[in-house]
Amino acid sequence: MTTGIATASPSTSTDVPRPAPAAPRPRRRRRRWPRTVLPPLVTFALLAVLWEWVATVQASVLPRLPDVATALAEEPDLFLSNLGYTLGSAALGFVIGVSVALVLAVLVVHVPLLHAAIMPVAVLIHATPVLAIAPALIVAFGFGKLPHVLIVALITFFPMLINAIAGLRSVSTELLDVFRSMAAGRMEVFWQLRLPSSLPFLFAAGKTCATLAIIGAIVSEFTGSVEGIGAVIITSTKYLDLPQMWAAIFLSAFVSLLCLGAVGLAERLVVRWR
Amino acid sequence: MATRTSPTPTPTLPAAVPAPLPPPPSDDACIRVRGVSRSFPGRGSDVLVLDGVDLTVPQGSFVTLFGPSGCGKTTLLRILAGLQTQDEGEVRLFGQTPGQAAKDKNIAWIPQSSALLPWAGARRNADLSRRVNRRAGRRDADRRAPGDPVAVLGEMGLAGSVDLLPHQLSGGMRQRVSLARGFVQSAPLMLMDEPFSALDELTREGLRYQLLDTWERHRRTVVFVTHSATEAVLLSDTVVVMSARPGRISTVIDVDLPRPRPAGIDASPEFHRTVARLRAAVDAGRTA
Ligand SMILES: Nc1ncnc2c1ncn2[C@@H]1O[C@H](COP(=O)(O)OP(=O)(O)OP(=O)(O)O)[C@@H](O)[C@H]1O
Ligand SMILES: [Mg+2]
Repeated sequence: MTTGIATASPSTSTDVPRPAPAAPRPRRRRRRWPRTVLPPLVTFALLAVLWEWVATVQASVLPRLPDVATALAEEPDLFLSNLGYTLGSAALGFVIGVSVALVLAVLVVHVPLLHAAIMPVAVLIHATPVLAIAPALIVAFGFGKLPHVLIVALITFFPMLINAIAGLRSVSTELLDVFRSMAAGRMEVFWQLRLPSSLPFLFAAGKTCATLAIIGAIVSEFTGSVEGIGAVIITSTKYLDLPQMWAAIFLSAFVSLLCLGAVGLAERLVVRWR
Repeated sequence: MATRTSPTPTPTLPAAVPAPLPPPPSDDACIRVRGVSRSFPGRGSDVLVLDGVDLTVPQGSFVTLFGPSGCGKTTLLRILAGLQTQDEGEVRLFGQTPGQAAKDKNIAWIPQSSALLPWAGARRNADLSRRVNRRAGRRDADRRAPGDPVAVLGEMGLAGSVDLLPHQLSGGMRQRVSLARGFVQSAPLMLMDEPFSALDELTREGLRYQLLDTWERHRRTVVFVTHSATEAVLLSDTVVVMSARPGRISTVIDVDLPRPRPAGIDASPEFHRTVARLRAAVDAGRTA
């Protein structure tokens, strides 16, 4: 135990041999792009070749890729204005669906009774196929933007609600004890503990909802809409205009990716503690 | 940082200064637990976890609850913190009920895991008490100002890490931030439930001395829980030995070692005698 004296002296006790807390590590910027960029590029190239082969062998199945590009380039206004229309409903519906979900989640977490009251309805909404209610909503609300917005709101609502509830409940009980031992108010617990704890959950749901919003907006335009990317797809189907149809599809996929990237970027800026 | 005297090869300890016998403390100058009982619903019938616990902790002393697993140490500590209620009995923390004391931020709770806010740096974490329940802070501003987080983190040997996030810290460093948060709160009472139990032995030993140093500088009243007899003797003025089923206080052992505890005290015969006494008391409590 005499050796214990040495370890016990305060100078060593402070710092058990452990590397000093390093200054921010120099970023490892090894050339990573050949490994991350090249493989998918190769895959895409192969897919394009396969696509072209099918398009030349069976012209009724797929259009040639250059034709798709031409369709896009020839009528940029058609695509842009319809894309704007679709994105408008998607964004508005997203904001409404997500906001309602967030407000409900906060209520449900604080008033347990509400959980029992609300959840069955939420599950029912979630279980209803959007395609099934789209015509009903158009009958009810006419051919304006409203039915599209409502559908987007309906399908983004549930994933956000579930994740927000899980996130707001994901607070560590020991941290909650620390707050309670200082008699923290409900608001303080919410803003300083629950909400930040839930952010990773909210962003995960945000990504799901971003793509769902675009899907919802397009699908809702399939029935009885004259505007939007969904309408472009339906019209070009009627005239068997494959290049235009695929141009619209590629465009919506691209925009979906952009939205996903935007949420991901926001996540990386906000959730920096992982 | 080194406040301790350098280690002497064969420590000859100064005779314990006979503390002037304090007058029986009034309720305002101590923590008083009277007849506290608590049971939890178990299988079939309720399980009595604490049975008529009586305890008095004078202001400024370091008291450790010691006993077998499941004897109700955490339960008692949570009752002291107002995180749980007792079925019977009375708790006074310097004249206040736990609820009142919590409202005035008079209790610093240091949990088993470090429980830091993952999105806040060490400094912000240590400074949590300033941002929570500000009403109490304002009401009490003249009586007690929160400590300086950077200074306390420095005392804890974390001067270079004040801006790091918890995931950038080692387990031992996180625990030190958690202790710093408790000291910065400047609460007259600190409650610590096995704060080192999740750490490896080497880190743990370092942290004991760290806590000892910091505590000797600030001299708050501490109620501490540990499973280590050496830790209990090293840190405490008094070790309260509890027995299980139902949890009762079986013995109270006064640790007659000098303050501040000199370096190398854990090699002294007095130290070993006290540890042995404590172990014997636990065994006696178990067989009784
Ligand atoms: N919320 C609860 N509900 C039911 N039983 C509980 C609850 N909290 C504690 N108990 C029971 O009370 C007893 C004492 O628990 P407690 O956590 O206070 O023990 P402890 O002395 O801290 O043990 P350890 O040293 O293992 O941490 C245990 O038997 C436990 O099962
Ligand atoms: Mg315990």
